[in-house]
Amino acid sequence: MRLYSSPTSPYVRKVHVVLRETEQWDDVEMAPSGGTPLDSGTNPVALNPLGKIPTLERDNGATIYDSRVICRFLDDRVQAGLYATGARQWELLTLEATADGILDAVILMVYERRLRPEDKQFQPWIDGQWRKVETALDTLERRWMSHLSGKLNIGQIAIGCALGYLDLRFEDRNWRKGRDDLAKFYDTFSQRDSMIATVPQG
Amino acid sequence: MILHDNPASPFCRKVQVLARETGQMDQIELAYAVGSPTAPDKMPTAQNPLGKIPALILDDGTALYDSRVITRYLADHGSPAMVPADTPYPVLAREALADGIMDAAVLMVYEVRCRPEHERSADWVEGQWTKVIRGLDSIEGSVPAGFDLGHIALACALGYLDFRHDDRNWRGGRPNLAAWFEEVSKRDSLKATEPHV
Repeated sequence: MRLYSSPTSPYVRKVHVVLRETEQWDDVEMAPSGGTPLDSGTNPVALNPLGKIPTLERDNGATIYDSRVICRFLDDRVQAGLYATGARQWELLTLEATADGILDAVILMVYERRLRPEDKQFQPWIDGQWRKVETALDTLERRWMSHLSGKLNIGQIAIGCALGYLDLRFEDRNWRKGRDDLAKFYDTFSQRDSMIATVPQG
Repeated sequence: MILHDNPASPFCRKVQVLARETGQMDQIELAYAVGSPTAPDKMPTAQNPLGKIPALILDDGTALYDSRVITRYLADHGSPAMVPADTPYPVLAREALADGIMDAAVLMVYEVRCRPEHERSADWVEGQWTKVIRGLDSIEGSVPAGFDLGHIALACALGYLDFRHDDRNWRGGRPNLAAWFEEVSKRDSLKATEPHV
């Protein structure tokens, strides 16, 4: 299989962590790529017309994306059990979606600064996205800590990658403040081999 | 169950169409929500901290979001099967493609709705539209047969393009997709959920 990847994308990182945690890393060849909404760059638009990564070319079967679909496929492929069953699976999927929602908001903040001329960077838009991030982080601290402990699951991986991306791009906003339990989770989780091996570069 | 919903949202429509196609709409009560990233006041943020819809509240109080999680849940609890058990991933990837088209089309709307005119970027809007047309072009050559969650998502994406970006004429040069959409739009589930403000 071939995975279109970049070392900074937090969505790619989720897939890399899943690959490492489920011992499938050696089954995948990495194809470096990258781009933005303004310039698809080296992203594989012929395989994923949205011009996004990660995108996974499978040996037998259709090319798949996005990161959530790929992670689910990889879990299924080796029956890794990252998603649980019964009622808990819907909670874990919602937790995973919370992490993706945080990332979507943070990335829109990054693009606002990076892809627009200064006079078209609109502070209320940035504030609106950051409000989503803060509300979500507060909810994690208040309601989701039990899912963020215990046996490894997809929610932990997704939240771990989202928090790592906050450190990379918005360390100055200090997400740990007032969220001791979440900070403690990340301190421990980020020491996993899979997380150390995938620390974002650049 | 309570679905936090807005009749203009293509993500909400996807959920409603699936609920109707799988016989679960009579178990769902709709709760009207409205808002944007810069004005989230009437969004169900207590249920979904991201301030987005749809959010589905189960009878035991569990809140499910986003639309992808809800569609997976409803597909699991209704019939006929809208995600094939043996080969789900191509269908889920087609849902992701349609969602990506919707994401881009919604960002184009927000560019106008959330910003004063001098803060808008034509480059950003065109960048998003490029994703939309690449997505449509990738399907034009081989509109997939059958009717599953991927088709539902695609129909909702196209319906949203008509609703918000009619002036861009997505049908131009895409006769296969246009013919498919005309046919699929005759389904009761789609007729009952046509987008409106």
